[in-house]
Amino acid sequence: MRRVAMVGAGMTAFGELFDLGIKDMLPMAVTEAVTSVDKGFDRADIQAAWFGELVSTDGFATGILADSCGLLEIPVSRLENACATGNDAVRHGAMAIASGMFDVVLVVGADKVRETSTRTTFWDWMGMTRDSAWDFPLGLVAPANFALHAARYLHESPTATREHLAMVAVKNHKHGVTNPKAQMRFEITIEQVLNAPMVVDPFGLYDCTPQSDGAAAVILVAEEIADKYTDNPVWVRGVGLGIDRVMHQHKPDMTTFPPTVKAAKAAYAMAGIGPNDIDVAEVHDCFTGVELINYEDLGFCEKFGADKLIENRETYVGGRIPVNPSGGLKAKGHPPGATGVAQCVEIFEQMRGESTNQVDGARIGLTHNIGGPTAVSAITILSRDRA
Amino acid sequence: MISSIGTYLPCWGTATARLAGVDEDAITLAVAAGIAALRSVDVNDVQHVVIVSRELPLLEGGNSAALLAGLGVSSHVRVSEVSGGAPATLDALTSAVLGTLVIGTEVTPTAGAAAAFCGADGPSLTAVDRVTRSMPVATRDSSGRRSDYSDPRLLRVRGLGESLEQLDKSEPIIAAAGLAVRDAAALCDGTPPALPTIGASATIFAIAALIEQRRAGRIAGVEQAALSVATLGAQTSTIARDERSPQPRPTGEPTPGLDLPVSLAAYDRAFDAKLRLDAAKCTTCGTLSYPHRYRCLGCGSEAPTATVALPRDAEIYTLATIRVPVPGLISPYTLTLVELGDSGVRVLVKLTGAEAGSVKIGDAGRLVFRLVATRSGVPDYGYNLLPTRVAA
Repeated sequence: MRRVAMVGAGMTAFGELFDLGIKDMLPMAVTEAVTSVDKGFDRADIQAAWFGELVSTDGFATGILADSCGLLEIPVSRLENACATGNDAVRHGAMAIASGMFDVVLVVGADKVRETSTRTTFWDWMGMTRDSAWDFPLGLVAPANFALHAARYLHESPTATREHLAMVAVKNHKHGVTNPKAQMRFEITIEQVLNAPMVVDPFGLYDCTPQSDGAAAVILVAEEIADKYTDNPVWVRGVGLGIDRVMHQHKPDMTTFPPTVKAAKAAYAMAGIGPNDIDVAEVHDCFTGVELINYEDLGFCEKFGADKLIENRETYVGGRIPVNPSGGLKAKGHPPGATGVAQCVEIFEQMRGESTNQVDGARIGLTHNIGGPTAVSAITILSRDRA
Repeated sequence: MISSIGTYLPCWGTATARLAGVDEDAITLAVAAGIAALRSVDVNDVQHVVIVSRELPLLEGGNSAALLAGLGVSSHVRVSEVSGGAPATLDALTSAVLGTLVIGTEVTPTAGAAAAFCGADGPSLTAVDRVTRSMPVATRDSSGRRSDYSDPRLLRVRGLGESLEQLDKSEPIIAAAGLAVRDAAALCDGTPPALPTIGASATIFAIAALIEQRRAGRIAGVEQAALSVATLGAQTSTIARDERSPQPRPTGEPTPGLDLPVSLAAYDRAFDAKLRLDAAKCTTCGTLSYPHRYRCLGCGSEAPTATVALPRDAEIYTLATIRVPVPGLISPYTLTLVELGDSGVRVLVKLTGAEAGSVKIGDAGRLVFRLVATRSGVPDYGYNLLPTRVAA
């Protein structure tokens, strides 16, 4: 397989972008990625594109990307893999180059969540998680999928409490303050989190990601031509994707997300590294408790050690293993298709020492999504080092 | 012979006025009563089910398949849906043949259901007289539109009073179903049993009360000016009451904004497993799969499976209480993932019979047949978790 280099990355701000349509956000993110390329980039070099979008907005997805970004001469494919869409799109772009089929590939992720009323969003997102006869009529809304895990996790963990969930929100809000692209750039306190209205027990308002619009894009090229675009490429060292049984009824242990464990195993193996080699990570914190479980599934700590990790501030920037320096989904925002790609944008900047919340000396970074009815995870490992 | 009786009262409301839960209708109430009656009966002995109500959920589209599935009775058993009140239930019982399960069920004004199985033993119930006259002070047409003439004295004097005049009065009446307490007392000799309902189920509640009081004699079923009288024999029979003490029903209206769509194809594929709580048992490795699936959860076998009934006793593995408004649903509500007996099977079900958020992991309960949702006009039945009440 050929090595794959990331040479450009860009994104729109995340937020309730009522003034921007999908046809505005896509070219904004792509143009930012194009202009981020150190030695200049002609978009005519792009040979193929993958577009990750969870829910179609304004119709035919691939045509909208090609049309709005001036990419009418290349093949464009749309990819949907629940909340793991973004990192899976990056994975597909990387595979296309690694295989030798293409030399320059564009990967875009976007979603326009706030194009519909907040009232219908729960049901719109439920489309991803529903079995028409069995789950749908019950009202298994998105937060409930994760709450079922978090409740069992808190039950089984000897030490974790709702306060530890709150600590995740406090950290990610603090991290988001310096990020100009983040949706929520303000700090919060443990008390605010604990006293906020409940959404789905044990998640209060501040335990949940906001609803966001946004787009992100990265440019991947083959090792042989990376020099043409930059002297500071970021290498796609590993990708992985894991799947689990769809219905919660069939998941024997709900204190873990087996898709994450599987995706991590594949990505670590491909990169030839282990969890201790990760200097910085962007993980899926759609709900605070999910970030804690991720620490364990990704191998950042032992089983039921996540509360200690956050309690000891080890996942803050400056700690042993900084997690979500961008603010994460919690503070940066969560347009599902864009989320994984935007995580790669952050780690791209981290690897090049350009992040607004830089982790000193970071050489290897990881991005992670978990989604659907907690049944799919996609992971990307990026590094300053070619191997 | 009335060999077995089952009664059911919803756990909501007050001691004198039970209210149906949001997940209950005339069918789920009937199922609860029927299951109680069938506790001492082999379901294979049920040859005919008669359901009497003025509030069957569907005029068209069918209530009977859900009723049979909920009862666990074969879908080959005959069902008669009778539109009627207390006299109709009495008539159904006096004309029933061996193997008939008669269920009276009602949602308003007070909710309840009662079922009687006609078997080889127990007290006899013999028709005495029937008077059918018209005094329609209250009417409801096929579209559900109600009219009320609002003249209770006219109804009492010219309606019921005149019907009673025409009745064979050789023996006294000792219980009356279908009347308010005061009216029943006026009609009866001695103190008639107080009944929790006033419609189709009241007749069977009255019979149950008489049997428990070891009284035999005439019982009247009344609905406006219609009157039916029968004589209850002196034998005893098995009575199973599923009647939890009442608690206030949570208030709350569905959040507006959405009519949940239904896929009838998916509804049809799930129907038996969902309403009968049957799992597929792999004929190769024995693993239970619920819902049924093409490929075995355990060994991957794609051979045809056997169908086995799942246990209904449940323990909460994990749960989530949804407190935000969700269009089409009443918030808050609790979803529980429960383990069924020692089957190794878990199901995702809504909490019922208790306030949302009032249960915790490890709590016990049982699955009960309920209306899970109504989607595009289709009642979507399944099971909810009724937690075991712990003594305070």
